[in-house]
Amino acid sequence: MKPETLLRLYPAEWRARYGEEFLAILGSGTLSVQQMVDVFSGAIDAWLSPDVHEATRIDSLEPNAGGSKMLKAMLACEGKRTRYTKRDSLVGSGVMLGVTILLCWLGVVAKHSGWTAAGEMMVSMAFPVSLTLSMPFWVMKGQPWKAQVVIVGGTLVLLVVIGWLSYAFS
Amino acid sequence: MKNRDDLIEGLGRFSEPALYILISLADGPKHGYAMTQDIEAVSGQSLGPGTLYGAIARLEARKWIEALPAEERRRPYKITAAGKRVLRHRLESLRAVARVGQVRLAGT
Repeated sequence: MKPETLLRLYPAEWRARYGEEFLAILGSGTLSVQQMVDVFSGAIDAWLSPDVHEATRIDSLEPNAGGSKMLKAMLACEGKRTRYTKRDSLVGSGVMLGVTILLCWLGVVAKHSGWTAAGEMMVSMAFPVSLTLSMPFWVMKGQPWKAQVVIVGGTLVLLVVIGWLSYAFS
Repeated sequence: MKNRDDLIEGLGRFSEPALYILISLADGPKHGYAMTQDIEAVSGQSLGPGTLYGAIARLEARKWIEALPAEERRRPYKITAAGKRVLRHRLESLRAVARVGQVRLAGT
């Protein structure tokens, strides 16, 4: 895979800020597996981390734009608030707990109704599904909605496919 | 006791790369590639670009390092006064831990 293609895994603001240096470090040679893993995990971190988001979006403003100093200062102050609060953690925990209980209960009902495999699947998927659904309330709070849709939606689709496969082949 | 956010240890899995970056910048500004070379020479650790820029962004967000004007495709970074302060604090705690370890080893 070309370094330029890998760079597209990162958010636009990140690419504007670190893209050139990133490509210079990667060079044009073939990447090792370790480097690929590092680049992929770095991309996930760049989408999710409030610190990375803050460092890149403040810098993405044009240095000579009118009032940019004040705007940068305001964004820097606002950026401190993008970290999730205690309330966000509680809401996220509530969503996680609620969805886990709901899916476990549905799984038990399914098993008692004779749909053993489907019930097992629901119980085993309860935790990863609830964790994924709770993410927008805490760890992904303040992130771009597109990133939330791709990460949460993509993970849910993956979980449903895994669950369906385990159900189909059981 | 200091707030964990004010310590390098507060950076979680990025605390070790961040420590290496601060040590690398302690003797003058460097760009990303020069940092990776220096860190590899000093510690034997090879930092991938994902880890390197994850740590750099966190250090910038905390104002422990700052970017200088870009030179061609590369942007050098320099350590700030706050960065020197946290680095000094971290090195002192590491020295204290090393001292205890050496004393205990000497006693066996």
